[in-house]
Amino acid sequence: MLEMTLDKSKVQEFLRLLGENRRLFAPVKDRMGTKFSEVADPSLVCLDGLNTNLSPKEVVFPQWETLYTFKEDHANEVKLAAQETLLFGARPCDARALGLLDQVFTWEGIDDPYYLRRREKTCVVALACNTPGEACFCTSVGGSPVGEIGADVLAFDLGEQLYLRALTERGEALLKEASTLTEKATEEDKQAVQQAAAEAEKQLQAIPIPKDLAALKESFDAEIWEELGLKCLGCGTCAYVCPTCHCFDITDETKKGVGRRVRNWDSCAFSLFTLHGSGHNPRTTQAARYRQRVLHKFLYCPENFGEAFCVGCGRCITNCPAGLDLRAVLERLSSLAKVT
Amino acid sequence: MTKKTNEKMGGNGWEPRIVAFLCNWCSYAGADLAGVSRIQYPPNVRVIRVPCSGRINPLFIVKALQTGADGVLVSGCHPGDCHYISGNLYARRKFALLKSLLEYVGIEPQRVHFSWVSAAEGPRFAEILGKVTDSVRSVGPASKMIKKFEEVA
Amino acid sequence: MKQVEETLRQEVAKLLEDGTIDVFVGHEAASLPLKTSPCFVRSPKEVDRLVWNRICTSNLATYLPQLFKRPVGLKGEWTPPKVGVVAKGCDSRSIVGLIKEKQIPRDRLFIIGIGCEGMIDRHSVGRALGVVGLADAKVDDKSVQVIGTDGREKRIDIADVLAASCRECQHREAVLSNLTIGETPSSAPEVSHYANVAEFESKSPQERWEHWVGELSRCIRCYACRQACPNCYCEECFAEETAPKWLGVTTDLSDVFVFHLGRAFHQAGRCVDCGACVAACPQGIDLRLLNQKINKDVEELFEAQVSLSLEEAEALSSFRMEDDQSFMTEP
Ligand code: SF4
Ligand code: SF4
Ligand code: SF4
Ligand code: SF4
Ligand code: SF4
Repeated sequence: MLEMTLDKSKVQEFLRLLGENRRLFAPVKDRMGTKFSEVADPSLVCLDGLNTNLSPKEVVFPQWETLYTFKEDHANEVKLAAQETLLFGARPCDARALGLLDQVFTWEGIDDPYYLRRREKTCVVALACNTPGEACFCTSVGGSPVGEIGADVLAFDLGEQLYLRALTERGEALLKEASTLTEKATEEDKQAVQQAAAEAEKQLQAIPIPKDLAALKESFDAEIWEELGLKCLGCGTCAYVCPTCHCFDITDETKKGVGRRVRNWDSCAFSLFTLHGSGHNPRTTQAARYRQRVLHKFLYCPENFGEAFCVGCGRCITNCPAGLDLRAVLERLSSLAKVT
Repeated sequence: MTKKTNEKMGGNGWEPRIVAFLCNWCSYAGADLAGVSRIQYPPNVRVIRVPCSGRINPLFIVKALQTGADGVLVSGCHPGDCHYISGNLYARRKFALLKSLLEYVGIEPQRVHFSWVSAAEGPRFAEILGKVTDSVRSVGPASKMIKKFEEVA
Repeated sequence: MKQVEETLRQEVAKLLEDGTIDVFVGHEAASLPLKTSPCFVRSPKEVDRLVWNRICTSNLATYLPQLFKRPVGLKGEWTPPKVGVVAKGCDSRSIVGLIKEKQIPRDRLFIIGIGCEGMIDRHSVGRALGVVGLADAKVDDKSVQVIGTDGREKRIDIADVLAASCRECQHREAVLSNLTIGETPSSAPEVSHYANVAEFESKSPQERWEHWVGELSRCIRCYACRQACPNCYCEECFAEETAPKWLGVTTDLSDVFVFHLGRAFHQAGRCVDCGACVAACPQGIDLRLLNQKINKDVEELFEAQVSLSLEEAEALSSFRMEDDQSFMTEP
């Protein structure tokens, strides 16, 4: 396992070097805190923020993309090429979310080429969190502020320097590519990292997570959805900011004999999400829609993939215009599960 | 026009495409009269007949601009002459706001035009078209609002 | 403020007890600092959930129409509930608008008006903190004391983080109510109206276009702005209609423009500048600059005020013979 350190003063050079033959995505300052952006100028990269307001899933799963184009009676495939990409500074929850998305887009042996073309070319350097954000609860859902899942390299901010640990072959190759700028990590560095990791984990709140799937199933008809449904505005915010939400819609757009088939993000909170062509809508109320969001993550995904599809990033909580808090909902569901 | 500006405006031979929404009872009849009276007017308009200027959803105008029109003309009966009594008067308020809003977001005001033309005003209709076409021509091909598609072989 | 909150709870308890209302719509504390959530109180025992403070920013009128919809699938008789609601000036104007547009019945509403000194805009507080999060906050009459997730404390003048709409608000008391509580708010601020719009209008067309390209490129089409707006109650929004299909569903900039022009336009003569759309936007887009343009034109061209009384006709459902025609090429 390759363990290196990089002097903070050399981060820009490091990114410039690695960005030479890659697209570089990293957090930059934004009016909403920070956001992931394709950066040409590494001096703009800002590693002082917490997790970005929007998740980096856009890098591998863009909000919309053309699947193919068509003209009159024939279709043209789009070229499935993607460029080598470096996703730098994703927080461990976001890296872990990419791992979850991987499961969806390769589910039951069916690969999604549109997703995989980008994902396979993306090297993820995750940045461990020293201080969690106001709504973070990664440890409660099986993650960690210093988690390694989904990342190729895990970085720690040690004040004067970044500690970099290669986790995969791709990560190792990446670090080797920049070896002129880094030093081998010393025992002292490694100890500092261990200490930082312990400190970080301690700061996170523990939220009760309903794990009894049978009890969760029972909650389908529980009263709590009614009130939550009245509060929920039915916007797409929580799904669009979430690093693990992956529902999409496919539509055709046409113009004078030519057209394209596009897929774009969708949200189960929208009333049109389940509207059938016939006009029938099986999810008639916002309560049912909000329930879907929670149960999809905490019941159906565990059934299908063996784990909950929430990495505890807190974005749906900080951004919900109705002040809904998933943590509180989970807490209520857990106590519900206990009585039933 | 210098060669350069001409190119910028779409090169030689560029002609503005203008969508005209005309109300059935006055302006469409006015256009018809211009036609049967053999009055020359610019061939740049594509006419869409609507029952009343009050039928024109402002989105029609926005949508025309998105779909590739270089300009839009909306015309209805003179105030007081509306076949449905007041459709044009309600419409007038909407149009005033829309015109102002489009200009506000940076769309050239020369692209969007409104007029009243009665069934008897054939020559006037031709005149207005000339004016509108010149106005749209002066700002060149539209690009801002137009939705672009991938090149499809 | 604490006292108004107490009075509010008492009044609501009375109303629920004597059967004047079946449910009360108010604000309750949300788990994050400087955030509230709408709440639906159905029994006098629950009134302590209700809060009244400087972060009751959202427009509760948005939550009313759903209560008057017949539950889907219900067979037989159904009487709509009697609903109580607490209203600031802007909420009350939205309620007036909704009553006029027949989305909520006046006779089944009990409105408690509270004078308002302006609400805090959470995005502004976030901006004051920079890239770190908001760990905790305390609000008093004059300031907000915040602690960032980096542990740093900061005292912010409340005037600096008031919602933009509140800074210019001219109607701080409910325009329609069954009961008002609390003190009369201080008089409306002397501000030049629509200063932001006038300033923007003075820019060149290219600058204006580029501004909106920049703003609207941020839009993720989450529709939080629409969903938070009391006026956007359409069962099917034009943005999602498929026959005709007005626009695509992606974030193609052209489609985003059509959406925002359409959304703003549908507010013509209806927007009360409550700021709910701005507060809801996860991307911090200044939608007010668009809304206020239309409000300014409505006021200047038609001398109309939005939803101040039940009697007045809305600007776009009325006309005057002598309305302005100067925008026309050939009137
Ligand atoms: S962000 Fe909040 S209001 Fe919007 S759909 Fe999600 S839970 Fe509902
Ligand atoms: S559900 Fe909420 S907390 Fe969980 S991963 Fe998605 S946005 Fe983050
Ligand atoms: S458009 Fe925005 S400011 Fe206007 S009424 Fe709707 S939510 Fe309020
Ligand atoms: S934007 Fe227009 S069509 Fe859409 S919900 Fe609002 S008022 Fe209705
Ligand atoms: S809330 Fe903001 S990001 Fe969402 S659709 Fe409205 S403007 Fe766009």
